[in-house]
Amino acid sequence: MATTKIVLKNIRKSFGGRTVVDIDNLTLGAHPIEGLIGPNGAGKTTLMSLITRKLSADQGQILYLPANGAKVDITHNSLDEVARMGLVRTNQIIQDFESLTIRDSLLLSLSTPHFDKFYRIFGTQKLAQSVNDEIDFYLDYFPFENPNGHALSAGEKKLLDIIRCLMLKPKFLLMDEPTAGLPYDLTQSVMALMQKKAVEDGLTILIVEHDLDLIWEVCDFVHFLAEGQLMTQGTPEEIRKNQMVAEKYMGVSHV
Amino acid sequence: MSILSDALIIGLIDAAPLVLAAMGFTLIYYLNGFINVAYAENITLGAYFAVIFNSWLGLNFFIAIIPAALLTGLLSLLTYQIVFRPAFNRGVSGAEAIILSIGLSFFLRYAAILIFSNDPLVMDVGFTSYLRIFGQGITSTQIVALSLVVVFSGSLYYLIYRTGYGEKIRGLANNSELAMVSGINPNQVSVQVWFLAGIAGGLAGMFFGVFSLVTPRVGWNQILIVTMISIVGGVGSVRGALLTGIGAGILTAAVTLLTKPLYAQVILLLFFIIVLRFKKGRS
Amino acid sequence: MAYFIFVFSGIIIYIALANLLHLQFGLTGIVNFGVVGFWGLGMYGTTVLIVQYDLPFLVAVVLASLLTAVLSLILGWLVLDLDSQSIIVATLAFSTIIFYLVTTEKWLTKGVVGIGTVSFPFDVGRRTDLVYLAFLMIFTAVSMWYSWKLKQAPYGRLLLAIQDNEPLARGLGKATSREKLIFFTATSGMMGLMGALHAPVNQFLTPTLIGPGVTFTVWIALILGGKKHVLGGLIGVFVTVGLFDLLIETYVPLPTNFTILVPNIKLMLYGLMLILILMFRPLGILGDR
Repeated sequence: MATTKIVLKNIRKSFGGRTVVDIDNLTLGAHPIEGLIGPNGAGKTTLMSLITRKLSADQGQILYLPANGAKVDITHNSLDEVARMGLVRTNQIIQDFESLTIRDSLLLSLSTPHFDKFYRIFGTQKLAQSVNDEIDFYLDYFPFENPNGHALSAGEKKLLDIIRCLMLKPKFLLMDEPTAGLPYDLTQSVMALMQKKAVEDGLTILIVEHDLDLIWEVCDFVHFLAEGQLMTQGTPEEIRKNQMVAEKYMGVSHV
Repeated sequence: MSILSDALIIGLIDAAPLVLAAMGFTLIYYLNGFINVAYAENITLGAYFAVIFNSWLGLNFFIAIIPAALLTGLLSLLTYQIVFRPAFNRGVSGAEAIILSIGLSFFLRYAAILIFSNDPLVMDVGFTSYLRIFGQGITSTQIVALSLVVVFSGSLYYLIYRTGYGEKIRGLANNSELAMVSGINPNQVSVQVWFLAGIAGGLAGMFFGVFSLVTPRVGWNQILIVTMISIVGGVGSVRGALLTGIGAGILTAAVTLLTKPLYAQVILLLFFIIVLRFKKGRS
Repeated sequence: MAYFIFVFSGIIIYIALANLLHLQFGLTGIVNFGVVGFWGLGMYGTTVLIVQYDLPFLVAVVLASLLTAVLSLILGWLVLDLDSQSIIVATLAFSTIIFYLVTTEKWLTKGVVGIGTVSFPFDVGRRTDLVYLAFLMIFTAVSMWYSWKLKQAPYGRLLLAIQDNEPLARGLGKATSREKLIFFTATSGMMGLMGALHAPVNQFLTPTLIGPGVTFTVWIALILGGKKHVLGGLIGVFVTVGLFDLLIETYVPLPTNFTILVPNIKLMLYGLMLILILMFRPLGILGDR
C-alpha cells in the first residue's frame, strides 16, 4: 500500500538567532512507520511543529503527498487546515479539555464541519449514535478507570490524546513521545494498535521517541537528527550500528 | 498660531497627567501582569484627597498634594494587600483578575460618590498668572504642574532604568523565581511598587482635577486611554508608556482643535484597537 | 402596575443579555466587556430609524440588529484572536465609542436632549405593555432553551474546547478563529436585537441609558449566578437587579433623601459582591453543572 509522504525543502527555523532546524532535503513517510531520533535539543519537536504548521519556518517549503497521488504545498496553511487534510500530531506535553468528559472529547474529535454549526442543535444524537461503536472499541481496548467520566491520570490523558487523533482518521500521524509516562504494557498495546492501523488503514506514522528500544522494535526506517540537521538515515539495524549516532547520543545525554 | 504648535502645547499639557497615570499603571501591569482597572479610582481619589487638603483644610495646592499623594499611595497599597494579594494567592488570574479589579473599581467609585456626591468640586490654586507661549494662553499653574510631572516621571524613569532598585523590580517582573533565589523579597517589592504607582495615579488625578473639575468619574474617564497607552506602549515598558502617552496627548489636542473633544477620544480609541490588532499579531 | 411591568421588562432583557454573555464568556471564554455597546446600538439604531426615518418597527429592528452584527464582525475580526486582556479593553473601548458617538451626533440621536418616542409595535388596549412583556419573556425563554440545547450539541462541545485549550482544538482540525468570529457575531447581533426590542419599553432614550453600568450589571449577574450554568444569568439577575430595582425600590418604604442614594449603594454593593464571588466562589451560586 502506498504511503503518505511529507517533503521538506530548505527548511530553516531559528529562535533568537540560534538555528534550531536546518534541513536541506528530507522525505518523511516513505515507509509505513518511521522513527525520528536525536539527542535532546536536536530540534525534533520544533520540526514536528513546523510540519503541522503550529510554527512557521523562516524559509523553505513543505510538501504534503497523500497516498492518492496529490501534491499539496502546505508551507502557508494553518494548523487546523493541515489537520483537516489528514496531517495530525499527538502531543508530547499532556493536553486536555478540562470541561469535556472522555466521551465528549472523542465526540468533539469525530464531529465534522457539517455538525459544527451554531444553529445545529437538533439531530445531534444522530452523530453520537453513528459513532458509538467506534468510541466503545477504543474505550474497551484501553483501560480507563471511568470511561464515562473525565480522564483522570496523566496516562489516561495521554491515551485520550492519541485516540482523539486516531478518530480524525488521519493519513499521516506524527507522534511526539507517545509512550512517555505510560507503563510498559500500555506502551505495547498502543504500538500494537498503531501497527494494525498502518497495515489495515494505510496510516503513515512518524514517531519521535527517547525510548530507542521501541524505535528499533516498531520502525521500518529511522531518521537521525542532531543540532537541527539531518545527520543520517537508514533501517533500524543500520542506525543502531552507526558510530556517529552512538557518539552524538553519548556526547549529549550520557556523560 | 498654527494648529500644529497649538496642538503641541495643549497636547503636552494634557498629556502630562496622562503620562503620569500611564507610568504608574504600567508599573503594576509590569509587576503583576494584569490590567488593574481599579487604578481609575486611585486617580479619582487622588483628586478628592487633594480637594480635602486644599479646599476644605485650606492648604496651598502645591503643599496639599504632598499628603494627598501619600494617602493615595497608601490606598493603592491597601487594595493590593486586602484584595489583590489574597486573590492572587487563591489562584485568581488572567481575565478573572481583571474582572475582579473592575469590581473593585465600581465599589470604590460608588463609595466615593456616596461620600463626595456627584457634584463637581473645584480646587483652589490661589494666585494665577497667564502667560502666552507661541500665542497659546497658559496659566502659571499649568506650567508648575507640567514641571512637576516632568520631575516626577523623570525620577520614576530614572528609578526603573538607572538604579539597582529598578533592576530588582525588572528582575522580579521577568522571572520571579530567579529573583527570589537571588534574595529579593517579592512581597516587599510589590508593596513598594503599588505604593509608588498609587502616588503616580493620585498625582495624575490631582492634575486632571486642577485643570478642570473634580468628579467621581475623573479616573474612569481616563482609565481606558491609560490602559491602551500601557498596552500599546509595550507591556511593562515604562519608557513606551511615556512616549505613547505624549503621542496620545498631542493627537487628542490636534483632533480636539479641529473638531470636538469627544471625537478625539473616539479616534484615539479606534486607533488603539487597530494598533493592538496589528502589533500583537494573530496567535 | 405600569412601573412594575416596566422594571420587569428590563429584568427580562437583562436575563437575555446575561444568557448571551454566558454563551460568549461561560462557554467560549470571550471576555466581552462591551455588552452595553451592542445592546445600545440595537436600541438607539431602532429608535433613530423609527423616529428620524419613519421606518416600520419590524424593519427598524431588523436593520438595527444587522448593523450591530456587522460591527461585531469587524470588531471580532480585529481582536478575537488576541489575549483576553486585549479583548476586554477593545470591547470596553467599542462600547465607549458608541456612547461618545450617541452623545456627539445630535443630528441623528438628538444627543443628551434625548430621542423618542417609540411606541409598542402592536396595540391591544390598556395592557399592551403586559402583552409585550409576555412576548419578551417567551423570546428570552427560547434563547435560554437554545443555550441549554447547544451545550449538548457538537457546537457546544467545540465552544468549550476553544475555551479550555484552543491550540489543541485547532490541532484536531477545528477552525477555531472562524468559529469564534461567527459565534461572536451571532451572539453580539442578538444583544443588538435585545436592545432593539428594549426600545419600546424605554420609549424615550438618553445617552445615560447606555453607560458602563449596564455591562457591569450583566457581568455581576452572570458571575454571581454561575457563568457555566444555563440558569446562572437568570438567578444572578433576580438576586441583583430583581432585589434592588424591583423589591427595594418599589416595595420598601425608604425616606426620600435615601432613595436617591439607592442606585449608588446598589452599584457599590455589586462591586463588593463581584470581588467576594471571584475570591471565594468563582463558579457562582449554581457552580459547574
